[in-house]
Amino acid sequence: MSSWQTLLLRVGDKCPEYGGAVDYKEHIETCYGVLWREFEHSKDEISELLLQCAEQLPHKIPFYGVLVGMINLEDEDFGKNIVDDLHCKLQEALSSENCDKIRTLMRFLTVLMCSKVILPSSVIEVFETLLSSAATIIDEDAGNPSWQPCADFYITCILSCLPWGGTELIEQVPDEFDRVIVGIQSYLSIRKHSQDTSFIVFEADEDKSAKEKDFVEDLWDHIQILSTNGWKVDSVPRPHLSFEEQLVSGKSYNLSPISCPKQSTSSSRSTISRERENYEAKLKYPQRLRRLHIFPSNKIEKMQPIDRFIVEEYLLDVLLYFNGCRKECASYMASLPVPFRYEYLMAETIFSQIMFLPQPPFKPIYYALVIIDLCKALPGAFPAVVAGAVRSLFNRIGDLDMECRTRLILWFSHHLSNFQYFWPWEEWAHVKDLPIWAPQRVFVQEVLEREVRLSYWDKIKQSIENAPELEELLPPKSVSSFKYNSEEDHGYTLSKEFREMVRGRKTAREITSWVEENIIQIHGSKFAIEVVIQTLLDIGSKSFTHLITVLERYGQVIAKLCTDQNMQVLLIDEVSSYWKNNTQMTAIAIDRMMGYRIISNLAIVSWVFSLSNIEQFHVSDRPWEILRNAINKTYNRIADLRKEIQTLKKSVLLAEDVAVKALKEFEAAETRLEVVDGQPVQAEKPGRLKRLKGYAEKAKDDEIAVREALEAKDALLARALEENKSLFVSLYKSFANVLTERLPPVSADGAFPKLRDEEDIDSMAIDLEESSTMEMDHDNRRKDDRNGEKVTHRYSLKEQDQWCLCTLGYVKAFSRQYATEVWPHLETLEAEVFGGDIHPLFRKAVFSGLCRSTTEM
Amino acid sequence: MASLFKDLAKLSAYRDRRFPGNQEEYEGALQTSTTVYVGNMSFYTTEEQMYELFSRAGEIKKIIMGLDKNSKTPCGFCFVLYYSREDTEDAVKYISGTMLDDRPIRVDFDWGFEEGRQWGRGRSGGQVRDEYRTDYDPGRGGYGKLVQRELESQRELVDYGAGALSAFQPPMPYGRHGGDYGHGGSHRHGRDYRKRNREDEHSASEMSRRTSGYESRRSSDHDSRPEKNPRFRESGDSDDEDDDDQKRRR
Repeated sequence: MSSWQTLLLRVGDKCPEYGGAVDYKEHIETCYGVLWREFEHSKDEISELLLQCAEQLPHKIPFYGVLVGMINLEDEDFGKNIVDDLHCKLQEALSSENCDKIRTLMRFLTVLMCSKVILPSSVIEVFETLLSSAATIIDEDAGNPSWQPCADFYITCILSCLPWGGTELIEQVPDEFDRVIVGIQSYLSIRKHSQDTSFIVFEADEDKSAKEKDFVEDLWDHIQILSTNGWKVDSVPRPHLSFEEQLVSGKSYNLSPISCPKQSTSSSRSTISRERENYEAKLKYPQRLRRLHIFPSNKIEKMQPIDRFIVEEYLLDVLLYFNGCRKECASYMASLPVPFRYEYLMAETIFSQIMFLPQPPFKPIYYALVIIDLCKALPGAFPAVVAGAVRSLFNRIGDLDMECRTRLILWFSHHLSNFQYFWPWEEWAHVKDLPIWAPQRVFVQEVLEREVRLSYWDKIKQSIENAPELEELLPPKSVSSFKYNSEEDHGYTLSKEFREMVRGRKTAREITSWVEENIIQIHGSKFAIEVVIQTLLDIGSKSFTHLITVLERYGQVIAKLCTDQNMQVLLIDEVSSYWKNNTQMTAIAIDRMMGYRIISNLAIVSWVFSLSNIEQFHVSDRPWEILRNAINKTYNRIADLRKEIQTLKKSVLLAEDVAVKALKEFEAAETRLEVVDGQPVQAEKPGRLKRLKGYAEKAKDDEIAVREALEAKDALLARALEENKSLFVSLYKSFANVLTERLPPVSADGAFPKLRDEEDIDSMAIDLEESSTMEMDHDNRRKDDRNGEKVTHRYSLKEQDQWCLCTLGYVKAFSRQYATEVWPHLETLEAEVFGGDIHPLFRKAVFSGLCRSTTEM
Repeated sequence: MASLFKDLAKLSAYRDRRFPGNQEEYEGALQTSTTVYVGNMSFYTTEEQMYELFSRAGEIKKIIMGLDKNSKTPCGFCFVLYYSREDTEDAVKYISGTMLDDRPIRVDFDWGFEEGRQWGRGRSGGQVRDEYRTDYDPGRGGYGKLVQRELESQRELVDYGAGALSAFQPPMPYGRHGGDYGHGGSHRHGRDYRKRNREDEHSASEMSRRTSGYESRRSSDHDSRPEKNPRFRESGDSDDEDDDDQKRRR
């Protein structure tokens, strides 16, 4: 990379390229000097890279804006071209509904106005276009209020630009600016308060969300405060001020008008379809951040609310644009161009992404990597902050959404595995004395389980040597539980004989008939399952690959034995019993058997809801992991099919094209005549004609073949979707059954029973405050006692209530995660499961998972 | 995304010289592959550990452990096969350079597993890199193979006396069972391997003098003998029983 490029990329960074200088003015001068030297022969490259930088390094947009402004002073075409390019990009982003691009390009637009490259009136025009589109969307008659998320997004975009150019707009176009502000005000007065209880991480906040301001209202407040403060923001560098005298003489351009895509207007369809549309809009125009308040307010860095918003935006942008570039990601995260510290805010922002519902923008493991890298980049500051976040989340674990709990467990175990499994476990030793269903205890137990999977039992045992009490929570040392160890065991001889046959490489068919004759006919099928599963699992017990090999070879033997769902449930029971001390192997074995279609997902659901598992619901992740795997695998196969169909559709178009062309070529050749001896004869040689005909026929055959492949896949997808429907019906029915039996009855006045103690929530709030003092006297012995006391007080919850909370939490989590798959079947589900006198709390959990309003119940 | 800082076209610095094709085809294979190569692993890391870590990037289709071609024991590399390309990319992006068994593992796109690629390509059976290493790496069998052989030949020349032997031991005597590495014969695809705690009488007595395998691993006592693998599932897959059975049948 030549030096002008490096300098352009690195402008504003504290880096060796600029000799470690921190003065922005100096950076811009140096960079501009080099760019201008190269300008003659690299004009286009410079323009292109500048735009790329603005798009992908949005926190440095002010610098890029000034650089464009400076070059514009010398070469007016350059500015004009940048403005035109920006227009194209913005229009394309709007049309393709690419939120991230729209947002960053709007900021660049504002900044170019500050550097006198774009006219302020053009910025106002863009604002007004978005504003009027937003106003139309939420209008019942002209628009479609289901698309409010899109309208909200447009308004957020306008508001987000103001910290970068509010001062300039007020100064230069005060009346127009006021018009925009009035427009936003009137939009805010019409729009509906958005409350997505579905996406709330802490369940206790559910009730609050109705009263609290939503994201747009909140941002509006910040902007109003900002305007009364004279638009002073610490977190936005304003380098153009240093160059104002020069820039003022630059030529500013108009941005051609833009247009927003029109969302489909609302037709008076059913509530379900309107709600479904609203759900899809929420996914398409997601709220970017849902703040997670982890730290008490005295811990988090002091800053203006708008600065907080801006730093969050910076961090989210770095996470977005530097995905896959570890080194740069960590270094930009750690060194944003703001004059205050923000480690706590950074931790809250990253954790808010790990816990983002329904899905984080990237897989949670990405954020795990970022945290690991930040702990290394800021060894003095960040690890302690992360530890503080963990403690705080641990204190509120019982209130955390079930899906988020799972993510937290996976993240934390992975994180510790990168830091030698060091954690001050003695702080949490007290959980041993809690009831086994206490959420904190379950959390510790599941973290240890995952640690053991990532490492090995003895190592993890050693890692908790400061808290030997917790050894009780370790999973059993993972050994298999083979039933036939001595000759007295019923089945020992049969199993041994079976093993010999496997060893003798007998075929699946031979073994099947042996099983039929020697076990089924004498001892019955149930016993046959026991012997076959115990023996095969034992043979395949050494590793994942051994298991796969056995299943590939003898899966048919099992499949023949277990043709119906009841037999499959028995089979899963046997797997679970063989691997009762190893949840991972149980889950893997069941997962693979489903993969080989030895067992159906319905059988897995049925097994998960068998009594012995139901009793585990609030105590262990084991049944849930198996259920999650089954649904996830089903979903993955559907997603694969959809992808394949997409590709095939493209191939069909391509093949059609080829076939038409080949046919045309043949026909053209065939009809080409020439006059020989006064008679018209064919001009082409017969050999070529024959060849062309062959091509045309082959192309047609190819087209038919691709079409048939597409039809076959379509049929497969239709079947898979039908199976999916039965899966969800069965899943929800099972949930409904177990919950109806256990949920407390609705009181006579129709009020929902309260599972969570109101006092409980209060005591948690107090904990949060205390946790900060706790941290300070880290080595204080009293802390543990105090903690223990508090905890016993907190788990006044009865076991049954905890079971209900946990199970309802999973109902919500599954509904939310697979909402797009559940929505199409909602009418069936309404009729078959959710109708009638279904328990309102169950209904509420499902509805809230699907983002349906519960008010209409 | 992030095209500014990373040359995305450059997928892997490593070029497998056994790839049957030219550079262009090689890159094409890497660009569409759903297989990753994992390197710098501890010999002790199990498939289940790999499964737990790598399934966080997506659903896993298959895991193929790299094995020493003589001893049929893991020798520090592995292939993980995914169903989707996206998951494969995420494994490379998010897992490469992170720790597994306290070692920073390397994760790269791989052009695709083929039978035979599971074997180490070093002269001694393991990976080439373990031939010439001069450092002591307890997670990868102690010293490099060359150094180990050197130490062994020194030992043969000079009689140190029994006590001094513990400092330098010959390489782990895996594979002294006359090449009979399968167990049960049911799935002897060559991908089969023995767990590494098989000790012959010699090393078993050596082990018993120590405390636990784990502690000795942490101690500074540089012993070239790999320690007992604590991740071994003891019951239910007794190799010895298999061997006995086979003897009995003969």
